[in-house]
Amino acid sequence: MLEPAPRPDGIPGSRLSGPWPVGDYAAALRDRLRGFKRVQVFGEVFGLKVGRAKVWFELRDSSGALPCSMWRKDWDALGLESLGDGSVVVAAGGCDFYAGSRASSPSFSFAVTKLRVAGEGDLLAQVERLRRALAAEGLFEPQKRLARPSLPRTIGVVSGEGGKARDDVLAGLRRRGWAGRIVWAFAPVQDRHAAPAITRALQDLAACEEIEVIVVARGGGSLADLFAFCDETLCRTVALLRVPVISSVGHHTDRTLIDDVSAVACSTPTHAAEAAVPVDCGEARAQLRGLAARLEHRSRLAIVERARVLARLSRAPADHVARHRARLHQQGRELRASGRRGVAEATRHTSTTALVLERKARAAAGAERVQRGRDLERLAMALAAHEPQRTLERGYALVEDPAGEPVTSAAAAREHATLTVRLHDGTVSVRPQPYREES
Amino acid sequence: MSEIATLTYESACTRIEDVIRRLDSGEAGLRETLELCQEGRRLVEFCAGELDAVAQGLEELRLDELVARLEAGSRPGATAQAAQAA
Repeated sequence: MLEPAPRPDGIPGSRLSGPWPVGDYAAALRDRLRGFKRVQVFGEVFGLKVGRAKVWFELRDSSGALPCSMWRKDWDALGLESLGDGSVVVAAGGCDFYAGSRASSPSFSFAVTKLRVAGEGDLLAQVERLRRALAAEGLFEPQKRLARPSLPRTIGVVSGEGGKARDDVLAGLRRRGWAGRIVWAFAPVQDRHAAPAITRALQDLAACEEIEVIVVARGGGSLADLFAFCDETLCRTVALLRVPVISSVGHHTDRTLIDDVSAVACSTPTHAAEAAVPVDCGEARAQLRGLAARLEHRSRLAIVERARVLARLSRAPADHVARHRARLHQQGRELRASGRRGVAEATRHTSTTALVLERKARAAAGAERVQRGRDLERLAMALAAHEPQRTLERGYALVEDPAGEPVTSAAAAREHATLTVRLHDGTVSVRPQPYREES
Repeated sequence: MSEIATLTYESACTRIEDVIRRLDSGEAGLRETLELCQEGRRLVEFCAGELDAVAQGLEELRLDELVARLEAGSRPGATAQAAQAA
């Protein structure tokens, strides 16, 4: 621990007391400031910073400013998301001074213990609280789940009777080429009667079965003007309607609660009208004509293509027969031609063979004759060798019966009265003697 | 008919697209093709009817007039007074 510094001498000539240790003086100052009367001050918030333990901001107005701090738990209790620069607040508290030390800087702040958002900021805070409550109850969702018709026949519109929003809605519908039925539910859109009147108008429109979608349209205005569209009853009613609601309230920078609970939130009434009729009727008509043409084309094509196939199939047998007939004719022609060629070939071949034979016959005729002569001679000689005459010439005789048949046995000879004995130079008749057994 | 009664313009358009896609695929047989074409024509007629219904000329009614007519049981007619005139 450091020893306290020895007190230095004062400034020569000065009549002021001291010198005092600065820490003592800072502590005295803190005590004095904390002794100031606790008050409420108001001004515009600037530079809000939310820390882990404390929240800091400045309160300013045209003549001065005050650094403020607030314990984080007190700030959280307010339920505020944030405070933008310029938000007017009323802060209750008193002065405080952190005396600092050798290692930390001193700081002065107005320690706020309670805070209230004033003016528009007050309204915003209320809206914010309600928004969170509605969101927590899931009331932002039901409208968004509703089916929206792309081509409604009847549209309900809630708007101010004389406002520009009405013309904008009509312009949007014209742009879509839509010319169906509009049911106007005119209502005040910015005084204290507005919210209940708008709620009733919405309920009445939704009760008409013909109405398929409802547009709520209002032009721009201050937050106070648009506050009717943040009414809790109105927003709860919209959330639970059976008919989809398309909202267009204020400028695109404004975000009223009806925008959160409705099915669709649009930046202008014209856009809201276009969202109510998502189909461009002119384009849809052209598209439909195209679809119808395609359908007709396909239908015709399906018939024509099949008719072609059928025609081809019906022609097929006749074509087949014709093809076969042509083939047969061709084969007949080929056959005849082939026959003619065969006959000519055979004739030619025969002629050639005959010619060859003739030539060969002619060539072979001489030699064959000689050979045949020789053969004949040889045969004659062979025949001559077997000639009985020749045998007779050698001394043999041939015995013949009266009929001239050769007698070849003694028994046969005995049967005849006469016999003829043929010798080589003539015949002799003989008479056989009776048979005598040789002893 | 009951199908047509529950149709909406958007579902009819979607179905027409489906029908044409199926026809374009060339996979449908003759009977299916003819049925699809017939269905497609019916849907096109329905859509054309829906478009015609919102092309009859803008009719503007005040809510109380519509309620009065509905209560009287008569269909709101062409004599509806334009809100502008009202």
